[in-house]
Amino acid sequence: MKRFAVVQLSGCAGCDVSLVNADAWVDEYKLVYMPLVVSTHDIPEVDILLITGGVRNDEDVYKLRHAVKRAQMVVAVGTCAISGGVANLGDRDEVREVFLAHHQPHLAPRLLPKCHPVDNYVSPDLYLSGCPPTPELFMAVLMEDQDFQASRIVCQECERSKLRDMRPTHLMGFQQGQVDSEICLINQGYLCIGSSTRGGCRAPCPRAGHPCVACRGPSDVFIEKDSEVWFGSIKRVFDSMTSVPSDEIEAGLRSPQLALFLFQFSDYAGDDRAARSREKMF
Amino acid sequence: MATLTFPLSRMEGHAQVVVEISRGTVVSAHFQATEYRGFELLVLGGPAEQMPVIVPRICGVCSTAHHVAAVKTLEAIYGVTPPPVALKIRELLMLGQLLQNQATSLFIFTMPDRVGAESLYDLAERGPEEVAADTVAHALQVRQVGTHLITLAGGQFIHPVKAVVGGVTSGLDSEGALKMLDELAWALPIASELFDAYWEASLAMGERLGTWGDDAPACYITSVGGERPNYYGDVLRVLGCDGEEVCTIFPADDYQQYLIEEEAEYSYARKTSYQNQVMRANSLARINLAQHMDTPRADGYLTRFHEAFGQPAHAIMLFDLARGIELVYAIERAREILVELLDTGQVDDRADVKVPYTPRDGEGYGLVEAPRGPLIHHYRVEMGKIAQAEFIIPTVHNLAAIERALRVAAERYVTAESVALELELAVGRVVRSFDPCIACATH
Repeated sequence: MKRFAVVQLSGCAGCDVSLVNADAWVDEYKLVYMPLVVSTHDIPEVDILLITGGVRNDEDVYKLRHAVKRAQMVVAVGTCAISGGVANLGDRDEVREVFLAHHQPHLAPRLLPKCHPVDNYVSPDLYLSGCPPTPELFMAVLMEDQDFQASRIVCQECERSKLRDMRPTHLMGFQQGQVDSEICLINQGYLCIGSSTRGGCRAPCPRAGHPCVACRGPSDVFIEKDSEVWFGSIKRVFDSMTSVPSDEIEAGLRSPQLALFLFQFSDYAGDDRAARSREKMF
Repeated sequence: MATLTFPLSRMEGHAQVVVEISRGTVVSAHFQATEYRGFELLVLGGPAEQMPVIVPRICGVCSTAHHVAAVKTLEAIYGVTPPPVALKIRELLMLGQLLQNQATSLFIFTMPDRVGAESLYDLAERGPEEVAADTVAHALQVRQVGTHLITLAGGQFIHPVKAVVGGVTSGLDSEGALKMLDELAWALPIASELFDAYWEASLAMGERLGTWGDDAPACYITSVGGERPNYYGDVLRVLGCDGEEVCTIFPADDYQQYLIEEEAEYSYARKTSYQNQVMRANSLARINLAQHMDTPRADGYLTRFHEAFGQPAHAIMLFDLARGIELVYAIERAREILVELLDTGQVDDRADVKVPYTPRDGEGYGLVEAPRGPLIHHYRVEMGKIAQAEFIIPTVHNLAAIERALRVAAERYVTAESVALELELAVGRVVRSFDPCIACATH
């Protein structure tokens, strides 16, 4: 029986909980290490290692480096492992100083100045994006499911209909308005990113009436490109479907709720590291 | 002096237990939370209306509670009252979370302790033969019914999206509601069977160990109470250490007058106390304050519990049995609400799920009863942005009680001659009784 392990770094455990809902692996794999659900304290040699969470403190660095040595294949799972995730909202100019001045207990692991993606330290073989990835996506990766079908973009997995004659002039706040259950959220004035966000999640949020926040990151078309190219494409969609001023769209895209996900594949470190290739994306 | 460090597992998040011993005497027993992300700081300056999407990321186990608490806090600030059907859908969300969480805690986290397995997945191969082979499958399926209920009421089961200021984004679809009723009908007898077996296994374990853990009196805090349980949260209730009949009741806005929060040098989690006494939150607090559950099977279990262990009951392993009562309650109550919504034609009803609102600056508190106890969000909004945010986390109310119970366990297994190996297992059992959540506690 093949073996897999899950290493949880600093994060919310949402990816891990989602994986617990994926149970098709039970007959194929033995789960040998995952502190959330298994009481073992060492990682043996494994076929697949899943890493969730970002690198926030010195203990995370140690755990990560130690774990990858035991694995044939390493998968970075979720927004935090891919980019540092929500904890990186603390890396803004206006917050950084209060953050650094914050009380740190001296007997606990030391915080790093920011939350790093795992590929600042190790080289994953695969990136599984989503906040969190759905159980179906976990199973497709673990089972190497050749039959798994995903749409290119979230839009194709959402059943709302786009209308030509319904052009909003301003954005609707994320919490505002009565959502019509049949019509495209963009037609209704919501800043929905489903038209260029990577598919495969089956569009649970827009189907439930909440605009897609792009947690799966960009589709293959944009994955190897600068985030500005992706932003340009989102703006073109809104130009063709709405009459919302461009600066309103820009401000919305850069607000925390979306920036958190829209920048997850751009280079946080600011060096010239190569983009993640589309072959490594799931 | 010797220092023993115990890594922890089958619980949420990163923490360890550190016990210091000198000449056979326990000097200290600390619970050390070792992670921190800084949500109270990182949300500063962000638009207040984005909190319901950002703060669920505090914790993937408890995201529903944070999602609803954020919406309730903004509604308190903006002065909005959501329509009744939206409140029903949010109650379903909270019940889905209760069902999912109590199933996880009972079957994935603590059942392996009762049969000496490393995990639920190992239970079939390592546990005793009388453990039926389908226990594992049933346990996971019951838990999944909870996640499906969250998906129905919240859009997705981790980081739900449907609760918004003024209501919910959409009603329940009738097809989904009917399917959910079938799932809940299936789950009720199965969950009861699993719980009965768990109850027996707990009694057997208690007998084998000769202890149910720290059973000294404590104060109990919860926001569930009143005529029937309500996990949506209204006011806080504290039952004093002397088990007095009358609780102290106060609104979430006044929590600082009643609860004292302290920082520790060894942990990223704060610790609260009530009048300098040890306080407990989570299932046992709710069951100790409950007069009835108001659903048939759960009421049967509640009576059995109170008769067997008294009210209030204090031994920490009773937290686990109290969770089982709530597991059954969540299934029964969710069915009642769904039937009511279907019978009164309140599904697929888009018109009444949300009221309009106008954002305004101000300060507000949002309270819900999360599976681990009362959760309070507190925001101050200036120019539409978050100027201050506080998250008062249920696990934090339990940390002093966890440390007291760890000390009781350590003193039992440490002697001048030796440290019993059983201590490591005891530490795990103590911590899991309280089902702490470290991602939340440190946030």
